[in-house]
Amino acid sequence: MNNADYDAIVIGGGHAGIEASLALARLGYETMLITQSLDAIGRLSCNPSIGGLSKGNIVREIDALGGEMGKLIDKSMIQFRILNQRRGPAVQAPRAQADKFLYTRLAKETVENQSRLHPFQDTVVDFILDSSETKIQGVITERGRRFTAGTVVMTTGTFMEGNIFIGDWVTSSGRLGEPAAVGLGTSLRRMGFSLGRLKTGTPARVASSSIDYSKMEIQPGDDKIVPFSFAADTIVRPAVPCYITYTNERTHKIIRDNMDKSPLYGGKIVGTGPRYCPSIEDKVVRFPDRDRHQIFVEPEGLDSEEMYLNGISSSLPETVQEAFLRTIPGLEDVRVMRPGYAVEYDYLDPLQLSPSLMTKKIAGLFSAGQTNGTSGYEEAGCQGLLAGINAAMYMQGKPPLVLSRSEAYAGVLIDDLVTLGTKEPYRMFTSRAEYRLCLRQDTADIRLTQKSFDAGLQSAEAVERLNLKIEGIEEIKELLRGRRVNGKDVEEAGLRVTGLKERLGDTFEKLMKVPDFTTEDLLVIEPSLSETHRQWLDQAAIDIKYEGYIDRQQKQINRFKRMENLKIPAAFNYEGVNGISSESMEKLKEIRPLSVGQASRISGVRSSDIAVLLVLLGRGDDNA
Amino acid sequence: MKELEYNTDDSIAALATGWEESALAVIRTSGTDSIERAAAIFSNSAGMLAAEGGRIIYGFVIDPETGEKVDEVLAAVFRAPKSYTGENSVEFFCHGGLPAVATMLSALKKGGFRDAGPGEFTMRAFINGKLDLTRAEAVHEIVTAKTPRAHSLALNRLSGALEERIDGLKKRIVDMLSKVELLLDYPEDELDGQASGYPLDETELSRLCEDIECLAESFRAGRVFREGVPVALAGRTNAGKSSLFNLLLKEDRAIVSEFHGTTRDYIESWINVNGIPLRLFDTAGLRASENSVEAEGIKRSGEVIADAGIVLYLVDSAEGLNSEDETFLEDFEDKSRLIPVWSKIDRGGNSVPEGFIPVSAMTAEGLPRLEQALSDSALGKKGLDDEVIIDSIRQRDLLSRAAEAVRTVQAATAQQAPLDAVAMELKDAVDALGEITGEVSSADILNNIFLKFCVGK
Ligand SMILES: Cc1cc2nc3c(=O)[nH]c(=O)nc-3n(C[C@H](O)[C@H](O)[C@H](O)COP(=O)(O)OP(=O)(O)OC[C@H]3O[C@@H](n4cnc5c(N)ncnc54)[C@H](O)[C@@H]3O)c2cc1C
Ligand SMILES: Nc1nc2c(ncn2[C@@H]2O[C@H](COP(=O)(O)OP(=O)(O)O)[C@@H](O)[C@H]2O)c(=O)[nH]1
Ligand SMILES: [Mg+2]
Repeated sequence: MNNADYDAIVIGGGHAGIEASLALARLGYETMLITQSLDAIGRLSCNPSIGGLSKGNIVREIDALGGEMGKLIDKSMIQFRILNQRRGPAVQAPRAQADKFLYTRLAKETVENQSRLHPFQDTVVDFILDSSETKIQGVITERGRRFTAGTVVMTTGTFMEGNIFIGDWVTSSGRLGEPAAVGLGTSLRRMGFSLGRLKTGTPARVASSSIDYSKMEIQPGDDKIVPFSFAADTIVRPAVPCYITYTNERTHKIIRDNMDKSPLYGGKIVGTGPRYCPSIEDKVVRFPDRDRHQIFVEPEGLDSEEMYLNGISSSLPETVQEAFLRTIPGLEDVRVMRPGYAVEYDYLDPLQLSPSLMTKKIAGLFSAGQTNGTSGYEEAGCQGLLAGINAAMYMQGKPPLVLSRSEAYAGVLIDDLVTLGTKEPYRMFTSRAEYRLCLRQDTADIRLTQKSFDAGLQSAEAVERLNLKIEGIEEIKELLRGRRVNGKDVEEAGLRVTGLKERLGDTFEKLMKVPDFTTEDLLVIEPSLSETHRQWLDQAAIDIKYEGYIDRQQKQINRFKRMENLKIPAAFNYEGVNGISSESMEKLKEIRPLSVGQASRISGVRSSDIAVLLVLLGRGDDNA
Repeated sequence: MKELEYNTDDSIAALATGWEESALAVIRTSGTDSIERAAAIFSNSAGMLAAEGGRIIYGFVIDPETGEKVDEVLAAVFRAPKSYTGENSVEFFCHGGLPAVATMLSALKKGGFRDAGPGEFTMRAFINGKLDLTRAEAVHEIVTAKTPRAHSLALNRLSGALEERIDGLKKRIVDMLSKVELLLDYPEDELDGQASGYPLDETELSRLCEDIECLAESFRAGRVFREGVPVALAGRTNAGKSSLFNLLLKEDRAIVSEFHGTTRDYIESWINVNGIPLRLFDTAGLRASENSVEAEGIKRSGEVIADAGIVLYLVDSAEGLNSEDETFLEDFEDKSRLIPVWSKIDRGGNSVPEGFIPVSAMTAEGLPRLEQALSDSALGKKGLDDEVIIDSIRQRDLLSRAAEAVRTVQAATAQQAPLDAVAMELKDAVDALGEITGEVSSADILNNIFLKFCVGK
């Protein structure tokens, strides 16, 4: 399409839309970002925090791939923690409380300052297709504007035909106070897409001055901050605490007594909600034996009165919410500023997407974020980034950047979506990643930066920084392999490092493999190492400690890759293949897996079907 | 689990000829390092390593642990891609006796070969493009039987109780894994006391491991049931063992001769007695021998007798009991496994001693009574039909793998090892059991977590 208004159009300025539009503009494309409200770019709809277990890994992956989320949270965090410090390095992850208002402002500024990126306030209601109705050519907005472009990335979040519920009050909205995007769902259905309904909820925001914090436990952050972005070594940010309080039997009684007023239990909401993020109504119903539920009281921003009550999302009537909140220690006199609510919205069944996140039906139309059935900022961000990169690859006629399950959580996420689909809002979990020992948060750059550079997005500086790090870690390992515990070490550090005497003559590498031996111990014996980069040192230490496990995982990965590398041609004709069950045939035709490995993960496809595929793909190949 | 089925990065071995008595058996191996591995347990190691594809070499297979010769063999070396599977491969032509084959397979296993699963050679062959489409159908069949569903259907026919037992074990591991995964999926402070301390318990793990091992060991019993109860014919030379063997077989298979010590090794055959499968072994006489080959045969006879489920001890009625017979009969510990037979009664020799069954191999007199005694003894073996037993080497290996993984977890628990590493081992145990009764996906684990714990903010 020549003469188009733009190279690319991104619909929606949420976490997916920001990454998609920035990536496209940075890759050299004139990109329009159409979003309903410019003031809402990068808004954190729900909890004021970024990261967490597996999600923190995703943020670092986004950063390694040249995305923005890590940088934004580094500049707006007001508390930092590394979670799961004691449960093994593979599953440790960073989380930060964000100043929501600062985060949004920074996001908007970044978008505004990006050359070739053109933000525009409007609501997209329809698509423009070519005459064969197989190719995207642009969008039509609520105000009747037509904008043309050869690629469109759709990131509508919770807004597509969104409805908000509080008790029996219902309104067409995507976030409290923001209208829904109505029309697009109908257009997509008309184009033959299959859409479903999902539901999620959010708790009340209450006034800080009405809370009695003395009745709550305080939860401070870590002293040491490790930036999310690999571009920064250290950052200095304020650290404000969160608080913990609990519901009790009185709270539960009020909830139980008013259950009939819940839109969820009254049958008004048809969409499926996430089991891992249940509303307080769900918790009370499903776990009647628990006499309390935990609530985290989190600041929405440094200068804001609003406090977020994490763990108690509800769509009961406002008066009921107020009543049960006031049974909670510290919240006796609480003033609600925004009530909790549930939102129900349209999502695109992600089985209709290929692993590049382009729809299989309409060439040039990509979809990312909550629209694809996920939930969470990080999940949205990584999809947006990859959709943006792949929209660019599509325009360049290059193969898409598809990350494997063994190289990124983002790869696991997208593979799960496009291979298995989802019936509830999909959230990432550590346990979804079978190769997680190799998906540590500290190795995201080693895994991904080069790939993004090759795609043209990541900067040369980032690659240089990465190479420096790789060399640095190798040097440290070299030293640890060569250096042995000597008499002088024992003399100088023997008192502070227990058991050192027994290790006389051992290499430092061997020492590092002792479970209790820490990097701190190492620094006591070899203070010169404190001059090297602490993160490199920690990483070298984990690599050594986990060598055996990592080797085993690497073997599993090699095995896995063999099947992933057996590609199925895009034009492969399943019709008339003998020996594949009809049920599997339907699924294979629908999902059109890229590799035999992906095919084998489709639910319902049997080993025998895979065997037949192998035979067929081997035909004509005469390596005998 | 699918991924494991197509694992082609190790070397496999299996009997290529039928699992039955024959003069010659062929054991096939395949895998990138199969020639190196085979050479490591072969007397002419250098010769094998240097051999071109298609060459046949003579030598001995050596047990890598004991250093003893296992069998005298011809080994055919094939180099990729010119082999059945398209990979490097060594085929051994060895003696056909089943115990001989079993020791060969065990030596190969010690040498790093894995028992091939059903259809695995064929699978490798077509992964490597060695099979054409006309054979796809056949392969399809084989592989279909490997799918968990088809497999558990087969299992159901054999023993629903077995599946139940394995599912029970699997559930116990899945529950443990869920506890671990819970801690990996949710940070400490969000669990509100729902999981405190280390999530695994050493004694529980050790109990679990024992239960898995116990089931793995039932393979022995299972084999007896499936492969028939081994029945050994014992007695001095010329007691009439081979003749009785032939009578029971109703065909001339064993060599009957008047020279002492003709049956040098032992001979095995299936017989069906009152509907019960028996594996009848004719052994060499139990007599000290100068002849080394015969001595070897006698030694093996002793092993066969020790392993047999039932022993028929023959005493020639014309000769009567001597001290050798008396010693054997007295020393035989489990009398329920022993049937003393008074042979050649057509000759009208000594009167039948207490407890002996009088039989003539010549006239078949006494045969019905002997057959009755055999089937009574076989059926009388306690527990065989109601106890849960496993029925294939594959299942046994998978159970052993699971048990080993659980042992590792137990050791890790003792050290309170980091949970991310522990989870990997537990998942391995779950996967092994999953290969028997159906896969457990990460979605199943998450389901289990959401069902049991109140989590999520
Ligand atoms: C009530 C609520 C509860 C939530 N609860 C949780 C939770 O418990 N856990 C969790 O992890 N996450 C939760 N979230 C989800 C989290 O906010 C999202 O996952 C994340 O914001 C998704 O990012 P996104 O970019 O896909 O969409 P969004 O952040 O929703 O952004 C979409 C943007 O696109 C714009 N837009 C939509 N349609 C159009 C259109 N047609 N034209 C122009 N612009 C359009 C919207 O105005 C919006 O700015 C919740 C969200 C809400 C609203
Ligand atoms: N008359 C008679 N001769 C028998 C009988 N059983 C075996 N013999 C003879 O006894 C000799 C030895 O028999 P054989 O079966 O080889 O004994 P083995 O050494 O115990 O195997 C042979 O000459 C047989 O023919 C029998 O029931 N009646
Ligand atoms: Mg004989």
